[in-house]
Amino acid sequence: MSVADYAAEHRLAVGGGLAALAAVAAITLLDLPGADLLTVGAAERSLQAAMPIALAAIGGLYAEKSGVFNIGLEGFMIFGALTAAAAAWLISGESSITQGDLWLAILVAVVFCALLTVAFAVLTIRYKADQIVAGLAVWFIGLGFGPFGATVLWGGVSSPTLPNVNDVVIPGLAELPVLGRLLFDTSPLVLLTLVLTVLAWVVLYRTRYGYWIQAAGENPEALDTAGVDVNRVRYATVIFSGAMAGLAGATLSVGIGSGFTGTGVTMVDGRGWIAIVAYLFGNYNPIGAFLASLLFGAMDMLQIQLQTVGISLPGSITGLFPYVAVLVVLTLVGYTRVPAAVGEAYETESE
Amino acid sequence: MLRASVLERFALAVVSTLLALLIGSVIVWATGYDAVEFVTSLLYGAVGNLSNVAFTLRQSTMLILTGVAVAVAFRAGVFNIGVQGQFVVGGFATALTILFLAPLLPGGPVGGVVLMVLGTITAIVAGGAYGALPGLMKAYADANEVITTIMLNFIASGVVYFLIDAYLRPSGTSAPNTESFPDYVDLPGFAFGSGSFSVIGLGVALATALGVYVVMARTSFGYDLVTSGYQESAAAYSGVDPKRTVVTTMTFSGMVAGVAGAMFAIMVLGYYSDPSTFPSFGFDAIAVSLLAANNPLGVIPAGLLFGGLDAGGQYIGFTLDVPSELVDGVIGLIVLFVAAPELFRMSARRFGLGGDDR
Repeated sequence: MSVADYAAEHRLAVGGGLAALAAVAAITLLDLPGADLLTVGAAERSLQAAMPIALAAIGGLYAEKSGVFNIGLEGFMIFGALTAAAAAWLISGESSITQGDLWLAILVAVVFCALLTVAFAVLTIRYKADQIVAGLAVWFIGLGFGPFGATVLWGGVSSPTLPNVNDVVIPGLAELPVLGRLLFDTSPLVLLTLVLTVLAWVVLYRTRYGYWIQAAGENPEALDTAGVDVNRVRYATVIFSGAMAGLAGATLSVGIGSGFTGTGVTMVDGRGWIAIVAYLFGNYNPIGAFLASLLFGAMDMLQIQLQTVGISLPGSITGLFPYVAVLVVLTLVGYTRVPAAVGEAYETESE
Repeated sequence: MLRASVLERFALAVVSTLLALLIGSVIVWATGYDAVEFVTSLLYGAVGNLSNVAFTLRQSTMLILTGVAVAVAFRAGVFNIGVQGQFVVGGFATALTILFLAPLLPGGPVGGVVLMVLGTITAIVAGGAYGALPGLMKAYADANEVITTIMLNFIASGVVYFLIDAYLRPSGTSAPNTESFPDYVDLPGFAFGSGSFSVIGLGVALATALGVYVVMARTSFGYDLVTSGYQESAAAYSGVDPKRTVVTTMTFSGMVAGVAGAMFAIMVLGYYSDPSTFPSFGFDAIAVSLLAANNPLGVIPAGLLFGGLDAGGQYIGFTLDVPSELVDGVIGLIVLFVAAPELFRMSARRFGLGGDDR
């Protein structure tokens, strides 16, 4: 087994090892107070920043496992973020936005994005659209219609400041050291993300449907022979990926954020692309994808930690850490064994 | 990618554009604006008077250059989504060259021409180098170029902003702009009398498109590049090194994007600024190139069309209060439809039109 093969199979171990090594090197070389960098607060912020990435990554890996590369995650996240903010604002009407409104708005965003992905799925599966180009188109459409929708509603590309989902304290469990604050005294969306991650792993690797998904991407002919409709499985996973991207976007705007921001490349700001790298890095394993998202989330939040220990870099530079991390990850452990039938439309013989 | 006959490609481009505009009009109407006024204003904004035409041609110049950059890569089967970043880096190199060499060289028209030529050459080098980077990452580390180039776009924009803000901003100003280039570093406006459009710039764009077409159609490098796009295994069998082709393709594509950056710095801005405020030519260029079936000559009419759409979109933003982002969405829809030729083939068969194309 060559080094490359080994690295590919143990990508998380290798990548995590490299990250740890880099962290230790930085701490010793630059004489940083390591204890101040690794605080519970840092872990909490990283976890929050990782949520939207992880949610989109899990959706994306389901689609790709089944043979459809949903490169439009970023675009669907923009629609999710806008829809959630718009729904919360419209549902509440003149009165102030309640917690119930917010949860309903998140649901609306998930459903809306699922519906949008139905159109995307029909184009890529039935009409055999080029998956990469169609996915890029979704991003452009999001970049256009996201700020457009905001302008129609609010007269500017961003929404007014909106409330977000309250933290939930689970009595008893919240008293636990470290874990209590990370999981049981925080946004309920953190717990939801963890539950969805584990569920996604169980469904993919421990259920019959999960095997169908894998077969649709690896060997669609065999699945077809076994009497399962390949394209039906693919429709389901692509629509699921849209729903997850919608949830990810909603998490950004009304889950942990304070409304929709439509300036520049919108508040999604590349997280959908990072999500794709997260699941590649996690080798299409939902738990791996979650851990990779955590790494990117930590990079995103590094700026705050560096400030607390007295290192002040301009925001324009620290904001680039996640993107640089993505490049390093892709270059060092970029080789991924992509499911065999990704990108190819499947046409059954029986027609 | 997206193979079809020339006539079919042309029909696809026209139908996709019309359908996207129709959907755009419906959205305009559904959100409470006047759809007819939207379309007529779009037209007026594009070609209604001389200064609107100048604006359209200025946007077209940029879209033809960036469109050719995209076409080079897509033709070879490499998804260079990083034209925006390569264009930003190229333009920055031009600005650095002009600002640092201007005090050393004599002023006047001769000095101006020398500075512009040198600035363009450094832009080509810088754009090519920034394009080579994801090419190397793809060839030797299997890193997906769609994602690396998008990340490099963010990084180019952030780093250039930082450098301008920290080192090139004249003291006492707050906007992240460099000093203006000397007066003599500018392309003449001629009949259009526009400060930001010159026929020479459009000429550079047309010459680049033609030059790249000749390279792709008439040289062995171009042949290798196009064969790799059609079938990598066949290209490899005939002795083409696929890894090297990826790197050279990305470098070539980045070089063309560098020309676009130079034109943007010299012709449009006359200084350099925060790249996040720049128009997203590098992304619209993807639509331009796809509409042109990734043919460098086809990029010319596609670039003119999109230049008009862009100019019209900004015009309606000012006059009708219809957010100009709408046009970005319409461009996205065009890309989506162009990606799905089957959609039109199937519906054409269903309605009994052109059913004999198979």
